[in-house]
Amino acid sequence: MQKDMIVASSLCVRFAQQTVLDKVNFNVGQGEVFALLGGNGAGKSTTLKTFLGTIAPLSGTATVMGMSVSKDIDSIRQKVAYLPESVMLYGHLTGIENIKYFLSLADIEKSAPDIEQALMRVALQKSAWCRPMSNYSKGMRQKTAIALALLREAPVLFLDEPTSGLDPNAIDEFNRLIATLAADGATVFMVTHDVYGACQVAHRIGLLDNGKIVGMFERKDQAHIDTEEVHAAFSARSQQ
Amino acid sequence: MSVFSNINREARFLVKQRYFFALLTIVLLLSVFSVWSGISETNTQLSTIERLQQKDAIDRANVLAKQSDYGSAAYYSFHLTYSAPSAMAFAAMGQRDIYPWKHRIRMLALEGQIYETDSDNPELSFLGRFDFAFLISVLLPLFVILLLHDLRSAEREAGRYDLLIATASKQQRLWLSRASVLCAALAIALLLPFVIGAIIMQAPLVSTLQVIAVTLGHILFWMLLTLWFTASKVAVKQSSAQIASVLLAVWLGVAVLVPVVSDIAIDEMVQSPNGGEIVLTQREGVNDAWDLPFADTWAPFIATHPQWKNNTEMSSQFEWKWYYAFQQVGDQKAAALSTAYRDATLEKNNLAQRFAYISPPMLAQKLLSSIAETDTLAAMKYEQKVRDYHQALRLFYYPLLFGAAELNEAQNNKTKVKKVAFDAKALSKLPSFSTFKNTIHTAKENI
Repeated sequence: MQKDMIVASSLCVRFAQQTVLDKVNFNVGQGEVFALLGGNGAGKSTTLKTFLGTIAPLSGTATVMGMSVSKDIDSIRQKVAYLPESVMLYGHLTGIENIKYFLSLADIEKSAPDIEQALMRVALQKSAWCRPMSNYSKGMRQKTAIALALLREAPVLFLDEPTSGLDPNAIDEFNRLIATLAADGATVFMVTHDVYGACQVAHRIGLLDNGKIVGMFERKDQAHIDTEEVHAAFSARSQQ
Repeated sequence: MSVFSNINREARFLVKQRYFFALLTIVLLLSVFSVWSGISETNTQLSTIERLQQKDAIDRANVLAKQSDYGSAAYYSFHLTYSAPSAMAFAAMGQRDIYPWKHRIRMLALEGQIYETDSDNPELSFLGRFDFAFLISVLLPLFVILLLHDLRSAEREAGRYDLLIATASKQQRLWLSRASVLCAALAIALLLPFVIGAIIMQAPLVSTLQVIAVTLGHILFWMLLTLWFTASKVAVKQSSAQIASVLLAVWLGVAVLVPVVSDIAIDEMVQSPNGGEIVLTQREGVNDAWDLPFADTWAPFIATHPQWKNNTEMSSQFEWKWYYAFQQVGDQKAAALSTAYRDATLEKNNLAQRFAYISPPMLAQKLLSSIAETDTLAAMKYEQKVRDYHQALRLFYYPLLFGAAELNEAQNNKTKVKKVAFDAKALSKLPSFSTFKNTIHTAKENI
């Protein structure tokens, strides 16, 4: 049986008088790619930020690798890598300098060849490595952040709209990379509103609407989750 | 990872930020200017004292050479008194801009000579001199706010905050390291010119270390306040500009509002005569004496100087002993007001000290003035030394004017007192202010 790496149990989050997450339950096993799908304002990013410890739940529990987000957030942060939707690293530092700085924040030391290997793995062109990041495109910044996540060798990855702004080739490369990481045992939790992308890469998809999980889809014997089925459910919710 | 590694990482990170260097350069230049301005003012005051000392000695020698009696010698000769700036005064001119630090006094009534002016530079007492103490007490908080107000919010606005705290093994360590590096660089920019200034002025090591401690303490206070506020739940929802506005409002409150309000409150709480009242009372006492019977002068004088009770006899309508006696009586009439004025000044100083506990900039300013010996107490010590020196002049001249030797001889022989013989050599023993030690009673005891 797969070990549960990420668990949400009756998770409730409220902002002022508004309920943003309403008794959300799900679990993500080791080596699994789980996509939380939903429209704008569904509560996807709130769910992710709750696991990162930047939003405190009103009730319920969020655990990562068996550790409670409310109690052990520092320990959890050492085990997870996070890829924000819009990667904004330090513009006055080069790609390599940014990676070194963030690795140092995580108390991780990597050799220059290791960093170069990670940058090659995410297909960031070599000419950009030593240029200030203020000159990077969104896709290049995204790749740098993915390289950072790879270098952290974190057993759990939290991805926020990871393919947003990437060109189709980069999306394919990214999906392949995620599949490889999962095959190597990494647990991936991503939030997205990209139905097609989620179906391509995820083992399971949770459909979130108005702070509630309203549908769960999973690969059965097929290579991908049925896009049409998920799309139909997503559209139906959007029209309500 | 060690604290040193965190500091090292943040230092290397900040070294590449141009705005940081631009701000530090401005701070360094301001510090250099404040130290230069303080050294320049200190040297001006020292050279003024040196020049006046030379002229004072020459002038007195010329005047005394022309005199043929002790009364005229006392009347026409001036004596320079001064309070030389300490070696640390360059860092904090303090009350030297307000209270006089030099007087040329004569053996006439003293109160009028001391309180001819209440303050030297009322415009400076309002604005404050741009010295190192002003930089540390008033401007330093602004530098800390400028550097730290957007520590978190800038990251939030740039979209890096979540990535940073999700990556940092201990997020508090990240902010603390970054703030520490920024404040350490600020401290170096502020203190480097000061330390060089202290070496140039040969300031005592203990005072130098005390000024450094006050500076670091003030930086630490504003650093912790800014860190606390930027980490608060209120600040999470605010932009960098809003956070800066709140912190600037706090600065305005404690650096400007509290001192101004406390100044008004202290003036209301402590009633004090002004210098003009003291001068007027003393001068009326002196001027009235010309029109009053001699006995009206001798009675209050003898009450305080009973040793001369047998020598008040007047052989003409004017005698110097009578003249100086009514000068003394003029001071005695103003003594109550003068004491009240000094007591009020002390009380105001004590209250200001208490108000300073709710205003760190005010506290820093007071501590720096105290270390530099330019505070109110130092000004009062100088005033007391002037009083003691003036008293020493009276103690020197009274026996010559009243004829102590002649009086003893007359009492022994049961004859009348002869006229006092003038001997110019006696004046060589006039007390000198530059070598005068408060032998009568120390200023400290009085204060």
